Amino acid sequence: MDELTLAAPGSDVSIWALFWQAGWVVKLVMIGLLAASVWTWAIIVDKIISYNRMRAALNRFEQVFWSGQSLEELYRTLSERKTSGMGAIFVAAMREWKKSFEKGVKSPLSLQTRIDKAMDLALTREMERLESRLGFLASVGSSAPFIGLFGTVVGIMTSFQAIAGSKSTNLAVVAPGIAEALLATALGLLAAIPAVIAYNKLSSDAGKIGLRMEGFADEFSAILSRQIDEKVAQKAA
Amino acid sequence: MKVGLTSSLVLHVAALGFGLVSLSSPRSMEAANVESFPVDIVPVEEFSQSVAGDRQAPVAEKPAPQPTSKPETVEDARNIGDNTVDLDNAPTPNPRPRPVETAAAPPPAPEPEPTPPVEQPKNEPQPPSEPAPVPATEVTPEPEPKQEVKPDPAPETTVASKPEGEAMQLPDSAPSPQARPQPPQAQTAKAPERKNSEQPAKPRQTAQSSTEDKQLEDEISALLNRDKPSGGGARRSTEQAALGGRQTTGAKLAQSEIDALRSQVQRCWNPPVGAAEADSLVVSIRLKLKPNGELDGTPEIVSGGGSSMAERAAADAARRAVMRCAPFNAPADKYEAWADVQFNFDPRDMF
Repeated sequence: MDELTLAAPGSDVSIWALFWQAGWVVKLVMIGLLAASVWTWAIIVDKIISYNRMRAALNRFEQVFWSGQSLEELYRTLSERKTSGMGAIFVAAMREWKKSFEKGVKSPLSLQTRIDKAMDLALTREMERLESRLGFLASVGSSAPFIGLFGTVVGIMTSFQAIAGSKSTNLAVVAPGIAEALLATALGLLAAIPAVIAYNKLSSDAGKIGLRMEGFADEFSAILSRQIDEKVAQKAA
Repeated sequence: MKVGLTSSLVLHVAALGFGLVSLSSPRSMEAANVESFPVDIVPVEEFSQSVAGDRQAPVAEKPAPQPTSKPETVEDARNIGDNTVDLDNAPTPNPRPRPVETAAAPPPAPEPEPTPPVEQPKNEPQPPSEPAPVPATEVTPEPEPKQEVKPDPAPETTVASKPEGEAMQLPDSAPSPQARPQPPQAQTAKAPERKNSEQPAKPRQTAQSSTEDKQLEDEISALLNRDKPSGGGARRSTEQAALGGRQTTGAKLAQSEIDALRSQVQRCWNPPVGAAEADSLVVSIRLKLKPNGELDGTPEIVSGGGSSMAERAAADAARRAVMRCAPFNAPADKYEAWADVQFNFDPRDMF
């Protein structure tokens, strides 16, 4: 029954005091919401950094790719280090190409399909990496207010029980309990609002990057198919 | 991810620290320490129709009772009285006649003036009367001019008795001035008498100075308030008037009370049925009531009850209704409001 004791009228109503006066359910909710907020911001910062890097990498790769450099050479330099984004797609496609030609082309049609599949796979893997943890933002954005509300309801419930116990309806007695309960909702909103905004922004960014990579994959697939046709024609000739 | 987590943690710690500092102690609201006071809503008639009382009257119905004190008793006292010292002699009443004497004093003083020249021997008995006024001169400032006058006539009588003598000889009614001084001796001088005696004295006296004095005295005596101190109205009550009257004409029946009175009458009323032109059957009847609710006199038809049969029947029905309900039940404390009432019997209201 420790949580049924009410703050004395005119007691400390600072945020810290409110937190310590709260019952354990409310405390748990508040701590959870705080942790969610911390994690949300971590994700936001991380994603912003990684998206910026990704965009820069895409720009750099496109510059290199369309500079007229030989693809073989590009593949050699890229395959040696860890790649991401378009580089990964390019490496996957080139690897499949190489494997097929080293052993001699039996059917250029199936080669085209294999290359497409490899690029699709690489693209999916990249997109997954881009969109990882965005789901957490979405769930925090949608559920944090409810969790905060839960804490508030529980806090107000206990505070009303305490009011019934103290047999006083003086506002000075009632106010601290309600203020403490409302702190939970405030924390929930504090976590949810940035999460929702960041989720919308980051997911649209990820979509844009994905589109860009998809476009590159289609273009590269077209280039490779032209190469295959040329090789088939050479062989036939 | 590490960068993100650390930056997020730093951000949160900073935000929480800021919140703890800035939001830690919200300024408590300053509630003005105003005492609540009850407000009564009072109909304005209570003030506008109340009878004027005494504005200076205290608010309390009765003055605060003075604490009774036990009179101190003197030990071994043998005489009855209110004194603090036991005295044998009875308490003397306040000398009431004195003010009258001072008022009556002026007349004797001037009157001697004419008398000395007229009859010297008779003047001698008068001096006894003069000493009486002398003390009066000490009391009131008015006699002072008389003293100044007095020495004057004395040389005049010796040196120039002729001009005055003419005036003295003319009236043969010399004895009358003698008779006048006597009343003051008896100390029952009355204001009107003195006036009468002074007025005839004027024509006799031709001396300018003395007549001027007389006029002055007349004016003074006219200014003097000769009303008896016990005079005034016939008010017997020693209580101070209250703020309001005992009987307020401002009493007014509340709507519910009017309705109650009306319903009493309506119960006894058999409205004329089946008569055409209900408009003309409206009867307004005026009745005077006694405080116990009974009729005082016969009800008077104010309007309605015209010549036609139906109208007369309606008027009779109204009068019957009023008389049948005779002891009306109405609030007694508002008798003034329903002592003289007028009812309107309208058959249209019945349908």
